[in-house]
Amino acid sequence: MRQFKLSSPILTILPALALIPVLGVVLAGMHNGGLFILFEFFSASIHPSLDPAVIHSAWRGLQITIATALLSWVISTFVGVLLGLISSSIFWQVFGFSTRIAIVLRRLLAIPRSIHELIWGLLLLQLLGLSPWVAIFSICIPYSCLVARVLTDQIDNLDHKALIAIRNSGVNHISTLITALLPPIIPVINSYGGYRLECALRGATLLGVFGMGGIGTELQLTLQSLEFKEMWTSLWMLGVVMISLEAGLSWWRKDSFLTKQSERQLLISMAIMLAAIVISFLWLQALDVNIFSNFQWHPIPLPTLVEIINAFSELPWINLITSTIVMTIFAAGIAIGIPPLGMMLWPTKLGTTLQSAVWSFLRLVPAPLSALLLLLCTSPSISVAALALGLQNLGVMGRLLKEGINQQNDNLYAAIHSSGSGKRLAWLYGHLSPQSKSYLAYAAYRTDVLLRETVVVGVVGGFGLGWQLQESLSSFNWAQVVLVATSFSILTLIGESISEDVRHHLLKSIKREQNPSLQN
Amino acid sequence: MTGLLDLKDIEVRENNGYRLKDIQLSINVGEKIALLGRSGAGKSTLIAVANGSLKPNSGKVSWRGIELKFLNNRQRNEIGTLWQDLRLVEELTVSQNINIGALAKKNFLWAFYNLLGTIKTKECLTCLQAVGLDNVFLTTPVQELSGGQRQRVAIARLLMQQAELLLADEPLSNLDPTLVDEVLKLFLNKRSIDPINIPKTCLISLHRPDLITNFTRVVGLKRGRIIFDCQVAELTPLEINSLYKDR
Amino acid sequence: MNSSRRNFIFSFLFISTLFVSNGTTWARPKLIVGAIPDQNPERLNRLYRLLSSELSNELDITVKYVPVTNYPAAVTAFRTGGLDLVWFGGLTGVQARLQKPGAKVLAQRDVDANFQSVFIANLNSNIPVIKNQSELRVLKGKRFTFGSESSTSGRLMPQHFLQQVDIKITDFKGRRPGFSGSHDATLALVQSGAYEAGVLNKQVWEANVNRKKVNSSKVRVIWETPIYVDYHWLAQPDLDKRFGNGFTEKLTKTLLGLSKSSITQSKILKLFGANSFIPAFEHQYKDIENVARKLGKIK
Repeated sequence: MRQFKLSSPILTILPALALIPVLGVVLAGMHNGGLFILFEFFSASIHPSLDPAVIHSAWRGLQITIATALLSWVISTFVGVLLGLISSSIFWQVFGFSTRIAIVLRRLLAIPRSIHELIWGLLLLQLLGLSPWVAIFSICIPYSCLVARVLTDQIDNLDHKALIAIRNSGVNHISTLITALLPPIIPVINSYGGYRLECALRGATLLGVFGMGGIGTELQLTLQSLEFKEMWTSLWMLGVVMISLEAGLSWWRKDSFLTKQSERQLLISMAIMLAAIVISFLWLQALDVNIFSNFQWHPIPLPTLVEIINAFSELPWINLITSTIVMTIFAAGIAIGIPPLGMMLWPTKLGTTLQSAVWSFLRLVPAPLSALLLLLCTSPSISVAALALGLQNLGVMGRLLKEGINQQNDNLYAAIHSSGSGKRLAWLYGHLSPQSKSYLAYAAYRTDVLLRETVVVGVVGGFGLGWQLQESLSSFNWAQVVLVATSFSILTLIGESISEDVRHHLLKSIKREQNPSLQN
Repeated sequence: MTGLLDLKDIEVRENNGYRLKDIQLSINVGEKIALLGRSGAGKSTLIAVANGSLKPNSGKVSWRGIELKFLNNRQRNEIGTLWQDLRLVEELTVSQNINIGALAKKNFLWAFYNLLGTIKTKECLTCLQAVGLDNVFLTTPVQELSGGQRQRVAIARLLMQQAELLLADEPLSNLDPTLVDEVLKLFLNKRSIDPINIPKTCLISLHRPDLITNFTRVVGLKRGRIIFDCQVAELTPLEINSLYKDR
Repeated sequence: MNSSRRNFIFSFLFISTLFVSNGTTWARPKLIVGAIPDQNPERLNRLYRLLSSELSNELDITVKYVPVTNYPAAVTAFRTGGLDLVWFGGLTGVQARLQKPGAKVLAQRDVDANFQSVFIANLNSNIPVIKNQSELRVLKGKRFTFGSESSTSGRLMPQHFLQQVDIKITDFKGRRPGFSGSHDATLALVQSGAYEAGVLNKQVWEANVNRKKVNSSKVRVIWETPIYVDYHWLAQPDLDKRFGNGFTEKLTKTLLGLSKSSITQSKILKLFGANSFIPAFEHQYKDIENVARKLGKIK
């Protein structure tokens, strides 16, 4: 009997199978009652509100959002790099400690990472009160842990022979790390850090929760009142910023790719980070956001054990957890599988351009909005929630895939194409295959994010742990909050160990050389 | 009496066999030792044990009487290794890689400073010249160099370290014949190239027995055991042949 | 070296920001006004800009409006003292008052004393108009949506009226109701047919009828709830200490004194959808507190 073994390019496309059941349910529930509103939404894109008051408030909101995004980007990148370093095995190996510490740290970092920034925000708001820093911290906590995870994986996958050699010649720990670890990691930080800026911008649309205003406030309020013309004023503004940011980043990536001199890259990135901090401070100050306000500690009564036990029996756990898992898996399948599938089916220049445009649009539309738009033409179901979540993240994954492909050279594609294979097959073998491993690694990180984001699609009908977390928070039921947040962390940890196993399985083909143990 | 570096009762196990067994080796100041053996005989393992990067399953390695794992950074810096796989930091330039040799004697700020540009000290330039590389290479990233050039950079880095003892694992394999002579001369005959001190003592593994003439002592390794250890003058062709013969 | 000069400029800028910021921190104390997010931003901006300037004229203080877009966040911000005067809904106001003992209920709109929600249904769903509360049972097994989960008129009171006739939220189709997030969204989703029925604030329903946003061939009111109290102004307990004796009373009087005879004040009232503000008292909200406790929204 022939044994089938899945190769990684197939693994990138396979998740798209999730689309079949999801679309099945969504299409079965189709109705035309919302077409008029849907039409209103799209036609409003051509006629956004030009009322000076709307533009003025959206413009102010946009500035607050950008300034806060810059600040939280710098902080989360910086903290993320530090955390990533100390949760890598090689760090502890250099200092002569057991690498178990790294594993424990990595697992611990999964806890802050598993909780959505909105929830962090509401929790910190309880303790610290209304302050811009609460907004910044709550964005930074999950984001720096995500940066840390990506970086840890990268660091531990590096070849550590040079590092061992340097340490062995009697160089002290810190100099060893600076010399042998920093140079290969800087390009990673540069390219991944740039992408995080865009994420920070999306995250900063959350600022309204903390009374900071921002473009997210405009979007949320216009969504609530279905004022599509006003909504499009904000969407267009945000879109322009995101597209120019993207263009700027890809230019910078290309440029930094040419200058292999890590010294220059290091200087430039440090200068950019410093400048970003100064600019965002001055900017927020100019926008009358008092970033230097004081904190006050406002303790909340901790739930007692009895309360927690009672809360445990109050909630339908099996239902909550299964619907969360189902939603995450379907959303992840859509987000991961569709970009490579679409690119393979339509690899022409026109197809790629159109698909990128769609991805940009999907990235721009927040999940609650796409859930609402979907609901206007189909019945509520868990599939709609998964689809709404999946669509936004599909935009992100598509972008990562395209970027990765743009950075590799065309030789393999040209070779396969010239040997007579069709464009689609040539794309699959020549473009997707070399990218598939790193794409799958990012897919694992995205799944993490998706699990967290199940918090924001309550509109579809109270599904899953995410909705329960919001409900418990709005009832100020701390015992339930503790329990639900814990289950999020446990799910994240399980998901992480599964994806690590898959990764190890994938990486087995690359022969990994042993690191001889380090003494002292 | 203890030598500079002492290997006592070293045993390195692998699966169900040995990579090294019953190794007794004492290296004294000023000795130039050639380590001979077929590939797979355990030369690289011996060197890795000697510099402390590989812990033996049993036995003791000590530097000036102190066990390797208790050495501080300064003492560790006295042992210089030329690795078979070179172990350069690919992302850095030639000068930055050479300066890594001096890192142990500097603080971490200097390590940082080294990343930011080209530090052209007299020592750095001397080391570069000693291995026959032109100054124009100083700012070239090492990943752009050819195999032979990379090997020279590794040697320059080692010179920069100014160690007491040199442990070298096949340092000549990638070099062209004229340079082989030069490098051997550098390690075996020279005391210093101002301002760089050359290691007085060395253990160099070789795959060509014809190169041993200028060494003082020669050690033969076969299937993880030392089968001879004598002065070069006392070595017989028979002994050399036995190294490369089966059984 | 070039980079050192650059670094110098950066540190100079950085230090100067610190000085600039220090200058602004000792401005006179501000009255921070907030509101739960239940209107479109353009309207909120206009409303609170007008109200802020009116309050600062009348009371001779600085007033700042802080938009908080999340119900529990608004409650928390009030508890932690980030907001001084907040326009709360019935439930959020009670939650805030319980978390901040001593907080003062100042005023409500004339409409809030007799507030109502309306249950609406899509005509295709064949849900009949209901005469008697017990007939709400027809909603069992239907796709049903509330508004925001912390809304009094869009969730709490309707859920209470449903429970009075033994309908649990797990009795709807899919064993759970939807939470559309807002009154307008509830209307749009029921009108579209995504949900067969829903419930929203009567005031918003009427406003949409007047703006011709309701298609009467698609959606209709099936039941109006009994009356209850809703929105109200809630103030921090320590305002007198911070702004001078009798400030809370002066503030209440200013709110109650807003009248249609002044042009700005009439604009404010119109944006609030009220004819005037009337006195409000804690005891009026006892019922809401009881309902919220029963439904687990207050522990």
